[in-house]
Amino acid sequence: MWRFLARRLSSLLLVMVVAIVVTFAAIHALPGDPVTVMLSDHSADREMAARLRAEYGLDQPLAEQFLRYVGGILTGQFGLSFRYVHTPVVDVLRESLAISPVLALAALSLALVLGSLVGVHAALHRNRVQDTAIIVALVAGLSIPNFAVATFLVYLLSVKLGLLPVAGWGTLGQAVLPVVVLAIPSSAYVARLARTFMLEVLQQDFVRTARAKGLAERLVIWRHAFGNTLVPLATSAGVMLGGLLSNTVVVETIFNIPGLGRLAVDSIFARDYPVAMAVVLLFTFFYAGINILVDLFYGLVDPRIRDGATA
Amino acid sequence: MRSMLLRRVLRQKGAVIGGTIVLSVVLTALLAPLLAPHPFDATDLLNTWASPDDVNPLGTDQLGRDILSRLIIGARVSLAVGLSVVTVTLVVGVSVGMVAGYFGGRTDAFFMRAVDIVLAFPEVVLAILVAAVLGPGLLTVIVALSLVWWPGIARLARSLVLVQKQELYVDAAIVCGTPAVKIIWRHILPNIAGALLVRASVGVGFIIMAEATLSFLGLGVQEPVPSWGSMIRDGLPALRTDPMLAISASLVIGLTIIGFNLLGDGLRDALDPRLHGR
Amino acid sequence: MITRRAAGQLLISAATVAPLGGLNTKVFAQNKIVNVRGAKTFRVNVVADPAQMDPITYSELVAGRIIKNMYEGFTTTDDEDNNIPALAESWEGLTPGPGFRFHLRQGVKLHSGRPFTARDVKYTLEELLRPGSKGGLSAPYLANVVGAHDFQQGKATEIAGIKIVDDHTIEVSFTKPDVLFPIYPFFFMDSGIVAKQGPDRMTKVSAGTGPYKFKEWRRGVSVNLEANPAYWRGAPKINGVSFLIVPNADTALSQYDAGELDFVDVYASAVRRVLRDERYAKQLIRVPRAQAVYIGINQGLYPPFKDRRVREALSLVIDRQAMIRGLYGGAAFMLNGAVPPGIPGYNPDLPPPRYDPEQAKRLLEEAGFPGGKGMAPIDIASTDAYTNEITYYADQFRRVLGIPVSVKVIERATFIRAMNAGEVAFFSWGWTADYADAASFLKDMWYSTSPYNRPRWRNAEYDAVLDEALTIPDDSKRFMLYHKAEKMLLDDFGMVPLPIPAAIGLRKPNVHNVTLTPIGFSMFDKITID
Repeated sequence: MWRFLARRLSSLLLVMVVAIVVTFAAIHALPGDPVTVMLSDHSADREMAARLRAEYGLDQPLAEQFLRYVGGILTGQFGLSFRYVHTPVVDVLRESLAISPVLALAALSLALVLGSLVGVHAALHRNRVQDTAIIVALVAGLSIPNFAVATFLVYLLSVKLGLLPVAGWGTLGQAVLPVVVLAIPSSAYVARLARTFMLEVLQQDFVRTARAKGLAERLVIWRHAFGNTLVPLATSAGVMLGGLLSNTVVVETIFNIPGLGRLAVDSIFARDYPVAMAVVLLFTFFYAGINILVDLFYGLVDPRIRDGATA
Repeated sequence: MRSMLLRRVLRQKGAVIGGTIVLSVVLTALLAPLLAPHPFDATDLLNTWASPDDVNPLGTDQLGRDILSRLIIGARVSLAVGLSVVTVTLVVGVSVGMVAGYFGGRTDAFFMRAVDIVLAFPEVVLAILVAAVLGPGLLTVIVALSLVWWPGIARLARSLVLVQKQELYVDAAIVCGTPAVKIIWRHILPNIAGALLVRASVGVGFIIMAEATLSFLGLGVQEPVPSWGSMIRDGLPALRTDPMLAISASLVIGLTIIGFNLLGDGLRDALDPRLHGR
Repeated sequence: MITRRAAGQLLISAATVAPLGGLNTKVFAQNKIVNVRGAKTFRVNVVADPAQMDPITYSELVAGRIIKNMYEGFTTTDDEDNNIPALAESWEGLTPGPGFRFHLRQGVKLHSGRPFTARDVKYTLEELLRPGSKGGLSAPYLANVVGAHDFQQGKATEIAGIKIVDDHTIEVSFTKPDVLFPIYPFFFMDSGIVAKQGPDRMTKVSAGTGPYKFKEWRRGVSVNLEANPAYWRGAPKINGVSFLIVPNADTALSQYDAGELDFVDVYASAVRRVLRDERYAKQLIRVPRAQAVYIGINQGLYPPFKDRRVREALSLVIDRQAMIRGLYGGAAFMLNGAVPPGIPGYNPDLPPPRYDPEQAKRLLEEAGFPGGKGMAPIDIASTDAYTNEITYYADQFRRVLGIPVSVKVIERATFIRAMNAGEVAFFSWGWTADYADAASFLKDMWYSTSPYNRPRWRNAEYDAVLDEALTIPDDSKRFMLYHKAEKMLLDDFGMVPLPIPAAIGLRKPNVHNVTLTPIGFSMFDKITID
């Protein structure tokens, strides 16, 4: 068990190291110059540009910039933002930090619950009308781009019907639409998984035994059959969470939510190197971390791993 | 064996519907210049956002260009991206995955470590970063999406090979002294091709969606070449007054992706012996 | 011993409960501002976070709009963009010159309560140039001040040319005449407070004289200002102003519809919808932007451009009326020259550019390129904000003239850098006035040595006329010279003028005394909300 854990953690470390190098290289390979962006349309002032470049250390050779950056990270300093002058990167990130994970988790929960219900229902009524209808809906849910769905929903629910606020983040009402839009593709995915797993499980012997024993149908379905799909579902949940975190980008843009996704895109376009690097590293850390947690969880429940064999 | 498979596929309603859709899209893409009623880049500022009529069956866009023609040409771009990316990722991913799975040991550890690292990056952010570095364009989209997708294929190929390695025919081939490359290429690959095909089919759908997302963020194909994703991007701001552009492009994308998904699902169901009571 | 099932159930429950816990964190603190009787806040949208709120380092339009409400300069602009006195009541030329003596307004209080004096003026101007300070947009305006250069290099401890005569009189001397100095955008800060607060002071203190004080900046969400009851023009009638940061056009409009904004600045992509919607008809505000939109032609980088006939042909194939109708839904104004309407020095007598494709083809043939033959492929470039426009131009150049033009959309940072370096041969761009005088266009864009002369158009006679104009303080005389220079630029087809999209805004019926002006927003100090 411990060896398993150690391996996973060392793998995380390796991933972060590679991430730091790759992110640094990619961000500095971005065409265009942060100083130009800082000065925007009045960027032809060479003196000012030179001063800024010196102040931010952008005139140093790349290798030196890299070493300084890594040194900074190790001491917990992520530098100052280019776009928000004088503001530490940590401050810029702080407010967004709480938002995106909450958004992603809420969407995940909704997806798991909704998806499971729908998927199980379809499995129970296999090949009948409900099943086909559901399958079609699911495929559609996975296929229509989320920005199109979002626009349509905003138009219908916020403007036409006035039921929900349009944008922003802070009240429960404002959270409904973004979470729903984010959750739709994942719900469809969960539903398909749930349906497939349930179909498999329902054919197995122990289900027939439970029924023969005279257990209430509901108990059979939910406790026994569905219960056995939980682990594979949970494993997928972990992966989905990572994907959801990434997909917050578009949703945050449309609903004007000041989260990490929007910050990532904005800072890359604005050539705000320190913030962009920090956000990308953060995403990678979350993503890799979630995968590790899922592996750990799997290790916990799978006796082969738990009891010492390395996976 | 093959005809039985085909019959099984055809019995899957989903696969048939999906296959029809996919075929239509492919044909449209191939015959695009013949099918499009107007040149896709002919602007006409006196006729912007026109409603559908005899001349323009779906109306015109913000520069007065015929929407139908642009949708048809757009099929080329979407399909080109989808198929290119799938091809590249299949070639790279399957090679890596099969080599890793077959030879095991250090080769396996090395390749899978690389796969893990790429997989550790969040997809959307990675695609955006690559696209930002390379600048917008068709090639950029293909490169960015290929980079993001190949590890998944590699992992799949590897686990498939691992399963096949347990089979008798592999042992037999080894005993006969068949060189490893031949075993992999001639014997194992045909046996896993089915599963890979399923993954590829569903993959095209997702890649088309990803291209649309990149276009939406402004990182996709350049004007005046139309892509469905950039057409949605152009059409969304005008959704309430002139919905035709956004809606038609969304429907076309949605339908195409549905087609690929249905086809993939159908193939998978057809290939899966368990669902056929065997 | 954890069973598989239990572990699974545990994980699912945790995933379900966790976000509910998140609901209680301060992430979900109430941030919506609602107007109730007695507590009115004017809510308007801006397209992005201001990069900073510091009048010394600010360098973009969003920050400018916000800062103008907190800080003031010698002059300001009224609703018609005329220059009117602000913190300087009057000024006269120095003798011997060149220079100005400013008589500062008395009885003005800074946000801290201290009276505003000449000390604050000198402090601000020196801060702009202090070595180590990141002087932004306003720093170049001090280029001609005596002693500025030495101060910047660290060779002097103060700017010799700025002399405090008494609390309300200050003299500024120049090395050469700078008649526009009084209307440059300076924002005077409180010399008392600022020095103590450190580098991120501007997010902590409010140190100006304007009608509103800085209250808070929630990054990505809003910038909130509160009223300054001691404002010298009279206390604002509302409690404060909130600039909501809304990057997306549709979102902004939806927020306006839902009552979350009192005034919406409609971004380009939503203009069409707004113009066609009956509901907005009475709330619509439409104003020409003070922006010169043009096609830049770099003669040095593409030889055919050297021929004036080729340049004229380019201008003749653009149907500007069709653009105004088809592309902008009518919400655009013709630009006949290099200076947009609304700016002092604008020439209303210029004829509109002609649309004559046949003439264009003839000219191209005369120049030796019949049907575009012999012309190498070339890109017309811009950022994605101008995608539709350059797609149209490229289509016209290709189809009508046969010139092999391709569209190149470049992302902003790269594009601006390339333009500034004079590396872009053929592009479309816009330039907004920094101060209310035609020189902001004629000199900043077309003077031969101006760093913002991106197409690198050079004409010695033009330079000479401008040099002379800038020594003349009398407006009407100066404007005549402006007109003369402008005509030279246009006759030579140094650039191609294009239609200016209008600034479109919507204002709720219960909101009064605020509007759009060619330069931006009107002053907010007289706003009332019923």
